[in-house]
Amino acid sequence: MTLNQVYNGNSIDEVVELLGKYGKEAKIVAGGTDIVIALKNEKISPRVLIDITKIDELKKIEDDGEYITLGAGVTFTQIVENDIFHGNLRGLYKACRMVGSPQIRNKGTIGGNIANGSAAADSIPPLIALGSIVSLVSSDGVREIPLEDYYYDQVRDNELLRSIRFKKPKDNQVLNFSKLGLRKALAISRLTTAVLLEFDENNIIQFVRAASGALGKYPMREIEVEEYLLGKKIKNETIDGAVDALQIAMDERLKGRSTLPYKRTAIVSILRETLESGNESKNEVGAW
Amino acid sequence: MVNIGLTVNQKLFEISVDENLRLIDLLRDKLGFHGTKEGCGEGECGACTVIMDGETVNSCLVMAFQANGSNITTIEGMEKDGKLHPIQQAYIDAGAVQCGFCIPGMVLSTKALLDKNSHPNRDEIREGISGNLCRCTGYNKMLDATEMAIKYMEEEKE
Repeated sequence: MTLNQVYNGNSIDEVVELLGKYGKEAKIVAGGTDIVIALKNEKISPRVLIDITKIDELKKIEDDGEYITLGAGVTFTQIVENDIFHGNLRGLYKACRMVGSPQIRNKGTIGGNIANGSAAADSIPPLIALGSIVSLVSSDGVREIPLEDYYYDQVRDNELLRSIRFKKPKDNQVLNFSKLGLRKALAISRLTTAVLLEFDENNIIQFVRAASGALGKYPMREIEVEEYLLGKKIKNETIDGAVDALQIAMDERLKGRSTLPYKRTAIVSILRETLESGNESKNEVGAW
Repeated sequence: MVNIGLTVNQKLFEISVDENLRLIDLLRDKLGFHGTKEGCGEGECGACTVIMDGETVNSCLVMAFQANGSNITTIEGMEKDGKLHPIQQAYIDAGAVQCGFCIPGMVLSTKALLDKNSHPNRDEIREGISGNLCRCTGYNKMLDATEMAIKYMEEEKE
């Protein structure tokens, strides 16, 4: 197909109507940091492109006290510069801060990071660890799906990925994130981990949600790590045990992949860093 | 073809463009701003950096039609009344320019940095230009140039 129709979308309703009309002939473009390259290399060839960067509603970060909702068009720069993400949500800040370069962060969006579906998408593991829900809208109505399940039932041809929301962490919860890239800037993640930890007054982990990036076909929840950590204190032996649990899961998932031996070794310090910073930062952020 | 209007270096352009045209092609091939360079064409090198509505972007990753209604500054828009911008002058004086290919993007990233933070430290300067690759200088001269530019701009104010 040749691209011969473009729209500067003015509202969500208008975009949903266009998607209903054109279906799989159309593609949404926001920050463009992935799709413009795919268009140029003819990896995709839509007939219709719909720009959504001028729709204010998609660029909002909303905090209603219980939930934080990020419009799909919120850029990484917006997240990095917003104080909400500097306390116990620091893991999301850290992930967004490490995306690409200033130019990429100015344009790249949360919605795009999800919809593009890369296994190495930096913002996704922290959002999975937060238990985020993705909101998709079409002429049939709104469909909501947990982010951890999203990759197995992705945005459909007539749907617009509208927003993502998560419950604000409690004062005694903290989100952390670590990334292994090959250099500081402009580095695609080799692997990432994100962990949301909740401690009781005796420093025992009473709630945990863990996620990884680039350790499988998609970013994913790491249940084995969670099961291991629950009810323990963060000590050297605990970290070693959590690493073991993750390595066993990886061995199964990445069996036969040439990157497995490398990732198996590299995950040791990345998960250690995430858990240790989780342990240290709990004193800085709130109730202790 | 699609009709768009945008401001480049404070001048309004109304133009009809191909649907699949990128912003960098519009700037270079249609509007003649050849200072904007295409290096990698995939957002890694920053040579095509321009300032769009106050923020740096890689113009190779923006579709021309997306720039409808936006305000863009390219390297050609930096000088005023025939005089180089203090950042450009500082780059020359510090010896931060070798082959020159990365410089338009580098200067615009420096400008965007100083517009947000008028007194960055060296780490912040490094971060500010981290999306612009240079294969000649090793970057230290750009850090020197940015510190020099801060001084020039202060002197200009006085």
